[in-house]
Amino acid sequence: MTAAPVNRLSLAVVVIGSFGLLGIAIAAAQTSPQGDPNRGAVVAAQGVPKAGVPACAQCHAYTGSSDGSGAFPRLAGQSAYYLGKELADYAGGVRSNAIMTPIAKGLGATERADVAAYYAEVKGPFLPLADVSSALFKRGEQLAKVGDESKGLQSCDNCHGPGGAGQPPAIPYLAGQYGPYIAMQLRMWQRGYRRNSDDAMAYIAKRLSDGDIDAVAAYFQQVRRADQLAQDSRK
Amino acid sequence: MATRLKPVDAVTIGVGLTGSLAALELAKAGLKIVGLERGAARFTVPDFQSPPIHDELRFSIRKAMMQDNTKVAVTFRNDSNETALPIRRWESFLPGQGLGGSFVHWNGQSFRAQVADFIYKTHLEKRYGKKFLEACGPELIFQDWGVTYDELEPHFDRFEYLCGVSGTAGNIKGKIQPGGNPFEAPRAREYPNPALKEPYFGAIFRKGAESLGYHPYPQPSSNLSRPYTNPEGLSLQRCVFCGFCERYACEHFAKASPQTVILPALLNRPNYELRTNCEVLRINLDSTRRKATGVTYVDGAGNEFEQPAELVLITAFPLNNVRTLLLSGIGEPYDPRTGKGVVGRCYTYQTTGGPTVFMDESVNVNPFMSSGAPGTMIDDFGGDNFDHSGLDFVGGQYVGSIMTNGRPIEFHPTPPGTPTWGLEWKKAVARHYNHTILIQQHGTSTASRLNYLDLDPTYKDAWGQPLLRMTFDFPDNDIRMSQYIANKVVAIGRAMGGKTVVRGGTRKPYSTTFYQSTHNAGGAVMGDDPTTSAVNRYMQSWDVPNVFSLGASAFPQNITYNYSITIGALTYWALDAIKNQYLKAPGPLVQK
Ligand SMILES: Cc1cc2nc3c(=O)[nH]c(=O)nc-3n(C[C@H](O)[C@H](O)[C@H](O)COP(=O)(O)OP(=O)(O)OC[C@H]3O[C@@H](n4cnc5c(N)ncnc54)[C@H](O)[C@@H]3O)c2cc1C
Ligand code: SF4
Repeated sequence: MTAAPVNRLSLAVVVIGSFGLLGIAIAAAQTSPQGDPNRGAVVAAQGVPKAGVPACAQCHAYTGSSDGSGAFPRLAGQSAYYLGKELADYAGGVRSNAIMTPIAKGLGATERADVAAYYAEVKGPFLPLADVSSALFKRGEQLAKVGDESKGLQSCDNCHGPGGAGQPPAIPYLAGQYGPYIAMQLRMWQRGYRRNSDDAMAYIAKRLSDGDIDAVAAYFQQVRRADQLAQDSRK
Repeated sequence: MATRLKPVDAVTIGVGLTGSLAALELAKAGLKIVGLERGAARFTVPDFQSPPIHDELRFSIRKAMMQDNTKVAVTFRNDSNETALPIRRWESFLPGQGLGGSFVHWNGQSFRAQVADFIYKTHLEKRYGKKFLEACGPELIFQDWGVTYDELEPHFDRFEYLCGVSGTAGNIKGKIQPGGNPFEAPRAREYPNPALKEPYFGAIFRKGAESLGYHPYPQPSSNLSRPYTNPEGLSLQRCVFCGFCERYACEHFAKASPQTVILPALLNRPNYELRTNCEVLRINLDSTRRKATGVTYVDGAGNEFEQPAELVLITAFPLNNVRTLLLSGIGEPYDPRTGKGVVGRCYTYQTTGGPTVFMDESVNVNPFMSSGAPGTMIDDFGGDNFDHSGLDFVGGQYVGSIMTNGRPIEFHPTPPGTPTWGLEWKKAVARHYNHTILIQQHGTSTASRLNYLDLDPTYKDAWGQPLLRMTFDFPDNDIRMSQYIANKVVAIGRAMGGKTVVRGGTRKPYSTTFYQSTHNAGGAVMGDDPTTSAVNRYMQSWDVPNVFSLGASAFPQNITYNYSITIGALTYWALDAIKNQYLKAPGPLVQK
């Protein structure tokens, strides 16, 4: 057990090893089809008319940035595994949504993998955001980075990565995701409408107050921008 | 001069597993209790959150959670003719410090002791005869515990439900259950939670072991398989197999620990007071030396206090329990020349070590995807589960593929013949990192007249008190036992498809320079005879009845398994006696 120089392989392992769930994801991802981002781009742009599937771009934008309303999640740069799994869950009924369920059902497994691969690759811009109150942001930051012992809540970053950067492939980024979307999903878990990842996310959502939900949602929407501003001020 | 504080009903020396569990029981009974802990207060939030909690250098290598051995070390020698030296770098065992004790950075491997363990002497003599035991080694000591498995069963059950143990029962009320350990002692009901999912290395072990006719089962674990609320109303979450469990605290509220399953129900009680950064120096006795008046401790600022108490519970981890008794002059110290005396006698450890199985490159083990207590094992060679007649030893080991991590500093297996540094080493690590399975052998440690604990004549702690001195080597009986099993396990490794199987097994001399186990046991053992035990069957001092020494220091010899579930059961058992008998009529619960 002597301390040895850490080689490149080991470094890669540090990153993966800190979040064991990933391993599970890797194992699962190996069995799902590899998507083709070029074919996926066509689905994003034009949909699959014969299957009644509209273009993803209608709501999520061709860049994956969606519109800034937060009614639709940002997809750009989310892992292909995660996007593919959510589509499969919509198709299989584990996750349900009036718009997404028929779309996911209309797509075949290959098309789902293609479109997931496409949105994983695109670098959609981050849209301008209105300010949020600093008190709300601070409370969100507290929950995200530290947690709340009195509620039995660990930090979001344990799984979602430092600053909510994500732990691909299994765990989505939250940083830069739209606040209203995050808040909506947490409330869906809380009330039992969203059921995938029940053991982890429903459990946690049930411990969050309305105020907590608004705070983490605001924090993660804004955190990238906060980072950017901090960087700018150093220049 | 020590400041004398207001008297309380009870103090615990240490607030780890036994200290918090005992205090909760007494607090419910209405007693005013003070918990004195030498380390700092710490909680899941904010202290155990990642990324800082996954700092391998800090926690695994530099042992951030362990007893501060710049202040209080333990000295060690193999044999009483040698001069013991202080262990300045913990390796072999890792006693904890800080609120929650070692039960914060433990793995969560959750076993009950066997029926025969508690009646070891009676059982072995009946099955093999006194001559057989004599032939195993004239220096060996065999003793019964004074308490039986049947008496403890309800307490085992209660402690498992407190922790939310995840497992598959093998024996419910004498009926063997499919999928569980057919050798386990009968339990009243199922585990509170289903077993963890089987990792790939566990599945490969299962296949290999099954093909040889053994009985694989999932390791029972206090890393939880699903969200769970325990009978104290405290909630745990599901383990995410983060790979940083043993030597680390859980950031997910997913591992049973004082912080998750006991303390929240204790700390909010007005009759409980926790004082951290308080080092207890000794238990004070009155002039008769038959009654403790309380304890003396030093706080973080160096001020000395006397805390009077009616009842003193030593809950400081076995090594510190024994040292506290010795420093306080409670019980007769063991003398290895005459074999007389009880405090320090029957110090035992654990026999560990197993083979390394190097697999083909097509087998991706993903060792980083693991928890503290995952995997698949067999108990065919545990304790006295197999017939020893015709063999030249007693005892046994469990065997399993229960890998806990693939952490980069600690885990880089290479086959024999690989250079220990340089390009060839790096290549070998890259080749084998994800294609190697470790198998653990883990088992009994027989007590011996030659192994004991006493106070060191030379070395002192930061407060000028003698350090504990450990004199220990594995009895030859235990080496023969472990090597016999090592042969069997090599065959399992081959049946798993191992390309190269490096044989394991415990070897002499015992060395403190690599990790084996933190299951230090004995030194203040329980029993029915005051000439061979320091505490009675309720872990009450024979000599000073208002002192109880709780924990594995009470084990007359060490069992096959990781011992905390048995410690929890014994603690509940003792506390039952304290609440229902002792408090009504303070005094000896068993007459000398
Ligand atoms: C790395 C590791 C892995 C383990 N894995 C397992 C496992 O998988 N399964 C299992 O069954 N067991 C396991 N254990 C063992 C388990 O941690 C112990 O059995 C359990 O914690 C013992 O409880 P205790 O109350 O006796 O001691 P602890 O929980 O260690 O508590 C003792 C407390 O007393 C304090 N203390 C000591 N002396 C003084 C003093 N003079 N004044 C004030 N305070 C003092 C200490 O700081 C400590 O906080 C493991 C242990 C380690 C270290
Ligand atoms: S392996 Fe599981 S129980 Fe252990 S620290 Fe990680 S999440 Fe917690």
